[in-house]
Parts: sequence; structure tokens; C-alpha cells
Amino acid sequence: MLEAQNISYAHRKFSILENIDVSVNYGELLVIVGPNGAGKSTLLSVLANELARHEEPILFKKKAFKEWGDKDLAHSKAKFSQSNSHDIPLSAKDVVMMGRYPYFASIPQKKDQDATQKAMEETDVAALASRDYNSLSGGEKQRVHLARVLAQLDNEVENKMVFLDEPLNNLDVLHQHRILHTIKKFTQNGNAAIMVLHDLNLAAQFADRVMLLKKGKIVAHDVPAAVFTKEIISRVYNFPCIVCPNPVNKNPLIIFGT
Amino acid sequence: MKHRLGIYIVLSLLLLALLAVVSLYMGVYVFEKHSIIDVFKGIIYNDGSIDAADRFVLMDLRLPRIVMGILIGSALAVSGTCLQGMFRNPLATPDLIGITAGASLFAAVAIVLGVYIKPYIPEVFHFSFLSLMAFVGAFLTMILVYRISTQNGRTNVVMMLLTGVAITSLGFAVMGLLIYFSKEEQLRDLTFWNLGSLAGATWTKNGILAVIITVAYFFLINKGKALNAMMLGEHDAQHLGIPVERIKKQIILLTALMVGTCVAFAGTIGFVGLIVPYILRLVFKSNYHLILPMSAIFGSILLLVADTISRTIAPPSEIPIGVLTAFMGAPIFITILIRNRNAL
Repeated sequence: MLEAQNISYAHRKFSILENIDVSVNYGELLVIVGPNGAGKSTLLSVLANELARHEEPILFKKKAFKEWGDKDLAHSKAKFSQSNSHDIPLSAKDVVMMGRYPYFASIPQKKDQDATQKAMEETDVAALASRDYNSLSGGEKQRVHLARVLAQLDNEVENKMVFLDEPLNNLDVLHQHRILHTIKKFTQNGNAAIMVLHDLNLAAQFADRVMLLKKGKIVAHDVPAAVFTKEIISRVYNFPCIVCPNPVNKNPLIIFGT
Repeated sequence: MKHRLGIYIVLSLLLLALLAVVSLYMGVYVFEKHSIIDVFKGIIYNDGSIDAADRFVLMDLRLPRIVMGILIGSALAVSGTCLQGMFRNPLATPDLIGITAGASLFAAVAIVLGVYIKPYIPEVFHFSFLSLMAFVGAFLTMILVYRISTQNGRTNVVMMLLTGVAITSLGFAVMGLLIYFSKEEQLRDLTFWNLGSLAGATWTKNGILAVIITVAYFFLINKGKALNAMMLGEHDAQHLGIPVERIKKQIILLTALMVGTCVAFAGTIGFVGLIVPYILRLVFKSNYHLILPMSAIFGSILLLVADTISRTIAPPSEIPIGVLTAFMGAPIFITILIRNRNAL
């Protein structure tokens, strides 16, 4: 669904990413993990077509991003960013409605209202709809933006893709799991998702495949059980850990500091 | 967005029409006939029921001036709103970031040096020379301010305002120099730029303004959604299918065109682009989908009222209109500064 070869990226001659190949299949949830400064967010930005590049084009559904129309692309892919604006003097619902901008010209239609409402219920912000966005807490703002991203992809298009940059920061346990279940449900319908996460155990539990980055290079890119081994994790994170099977679902369970 | 934009627009247009009629009757000169319908009937049928003086005051003095107030007020307010959307800050207005100063700087140079340059340019351009120069001034300033204050889609507000201060003081310096060198007649023109006035209104100028405003609004007035999305950040707006770069170019070019023309025809009328969006934000929050079209009408209302006051409050002389708008604008400027104290 998404194919990118040989991604390199440098900022002022300081190399951030080096020769990374990524391909994501239909229905796949790829989670990118790695220590601070590994280049996770930069990689996600490159894959989501935010940063201008001159090398080989990234193919999204077999077409380069340049060949896509603005609107079609917005119907097929969305991104949740880590650095969300803190000053948007609108109501929470108005912010979620922005996700429907690719669908209506001037006045939101019934289906836009419905999609907004559904997305807000999904991320548990329906009760905040008329609140001032600026008055919300960090976690609430984050859920408003997640609802916006969900509303953007609520359509009939087959094989959509969502990019999420640390969507779980600031969220409590309940909402972390709710969001992950929502994303999992999304990918099970032939859609795909690439997500940057910090919590390795959540990654182990939900990811179809995991990409482990360090200093701009791929250390491992495989199913969770193959990536999350004691040797790899303690070496990459430079911190001792043990890995044992999760007693509930048999996924790898990483315990640090032992 | 559940607000009914259409109703608001119709209501405020009615208010504007009412104010325009009232303004037509205000002034030192009093018409013989007191019904507006009688006066216009007389003028349209040209049956001699209106005397020449009435006709002259109405058609050549008051009406063009009212129309110019409506056009310039609207253009300045829309320019302010668009710039605020692009810079993502309520202080980004043509005057505070130096666009107006840049335009009047070039206009002043055009007035003083125009005498020497004019023989070398084709005659067709003589008339529009001033507006062209003002546009070039506004455009160059806009690019300079944007380049200096914005990096990676984030605007440094302090840099933005200080660039405006720098260009404004450069404007004062050049203006002082030109005043020193200029002749009597040019001096009067220059004073006019600095204070701003609608007294020079003619139908030709109104025609040019109307064309420019129509073209600019054709591209800008429906950009409310895009400006809303840009509050998320430029990348996120792009993910929503908004062609951010193209819209920014349109805003830079078209607001420079509008501000340049307004400055060329009416001098520096400050703060309109600050006051109107500020008041609309109090009612509609920051929803550009509403405040962008509404600012087009409320800009007209503001400048029409201000101009009517400026020409009637101290008869027979006029108070410069820029003085009035500054009296309204400066307190609002300070209010916004206090509110954003922590963000700056």
C-alpha cells in the first residue's frame, strides 16, 4: 500500500535518516519505536509527504504523492501530529469538523455532522463538543485531534492510511486502549496505519509489525516477537531488560530495569 | 458553523445601506428636497427638478466619497483578516507589520520623483503610476516581513511586529527627507498621505478600486475554511487537502494589491484591519468562515461611519479620518497585547 525505498533525510548536514526502506501492506498496523532522537517522527513526516524530497518518490497505492489530487489524497490519508497547536479559538466541535473540510464546500452536510459526532463519541469527547478548544486539558485536546483525524477518513474509499505520531501521549490508560482498539479496527478493514509509539508493551500487543530505529537506521523490522528480544531491546535502549511471554495474550512482555 | 452566515450578511448589508443613506444627508450642505426618493428620481429622469448645486454635491462630492469609504473600508478589513489568518496572529494587520508604511513610502517617492520619471514611461501608465508604486511597496514589504518573521510555517510575532516598526520608521525618515526637498504642491500631497482622507474620491478611482476588490474577493472571500485549517499548522492543513502554499501566495499578492491601491487613493488610514476582525472575533470566535465575509461588510460600516463623523463633527473643516480610526484602534491594540502577554 505504501512503498518507500532508500529514504535519507538530513537537516543542515546533520543526518537524521539513512537509507530506510519501508513498505506497508493492506491491513497492516506498523509501529515505529526507538529511543529519543532515533528519527521516528521525521520518518513519519517523510512517509506522510510533509517534507520535500528529491529522491525516489514514495508510492502510495502505487501512485507517487505528486500524482494525487489534493482532495483525493485527503480522502485516503490523514495524519495526527505530535505538535498540535495550543491556540485555536474555536469550539472543540469546530476543530473536529475541520476533518470534514475535504468533503463540503461551505456548509457542512448531514453526513459531515454525523461523521463528526461519531468520531467524537469514538474518542470520548462528545461531551466537550461546545467547549472552547483552548480551555481543554492536554489529553482532551489530543482526543479532539484524534477525532478530527477519524472524521477525515470516515468515507467509502477503500484502503485508507493513517499516520499517527505518538497518539497516546497525555492519555490515561482507558483512552490509550480505546484509541488503539479503534485503530486496530480501522486496519482490519483493509486500511493501514503507521504509528510512532513509546510504550513497547502496547506496541507488542497491537502491532502487526514493528520497526525499531536507532540514530536514523533500522535495527529491526519484523513481527513483534522477532523484534522484542532481550538482546535487541537492551542493546538499543542501552538499559537492561528481560522479555517474557505476556500471561494473558502471549505477546512479548518487556520489563525494564531488571 | 451552525451560524447562519446568509442571514448575518443580509442584515449587515441592510445596516450598511441605511448608514449610507444617513451619511448622504449629513454634512454642511443641506439638500432642497428631503426625500431620498425624490432626489434620485430627479437625478435619474434629469427633469430639472434638482438644481445644479444639489446635483453636484450629491453626485460629485458625497456619493463618490461614500462609495470610496465603503470600498476602502472593506478592502482594508479583508486584508487584515487574511493576513491574520496567514500569520496566525490577531496583530498581523497591514499597518502594524509595515505594509501600509511600505506602500506610502513608495507612493511618496512616486509623488516627489514622479516629475522626473514620468517623461520616460508611456503615457497610459501616468495615471496608475502612483497605485502601481504603492502596490510594489506593499508587495516588497510583505515579502520582507514574511521572510524575516516566519520559519517553517511558524510566525515569530515579536519579529513580525518589529519588522513593521523598522519599516515604518524607515518610512518616516524617507518622508521627512522628501518633505524637506519637495515643492509647495507636493508638500500638500505628502501631508495627505500621512493623515489619510477620503476627500479625493472620484468615480474613476472608485471604478479602479471596485475592479481590484472584485478580483481579490473572487479568490480570497471563500478561503475561510482554509484559514481555519491553517490554525492547526501548515502541515496539518495540507493533510486536509488545503493547498497552503498557493493560498499564501494569493493572500500576499492580493492583499498587497488592495492595500497598495487604498494607500494610493486615500493615504494611510490605520487600524481598520485590526478593529474589524477584533470585534467580529468577540462574536464569532476565530471562525474565519464567518469573520472573513463579515469583515468585508463591517469594514465598510466602520469606515463609512468614521468618515461621516470626520466630515461633520467640526464643520466647516474636517478631522483627518486616520485620527478617528487610531483613537479606536490603539486601545484595541493594547487590549490584544495584554491578552497575549504570555504568548509573545
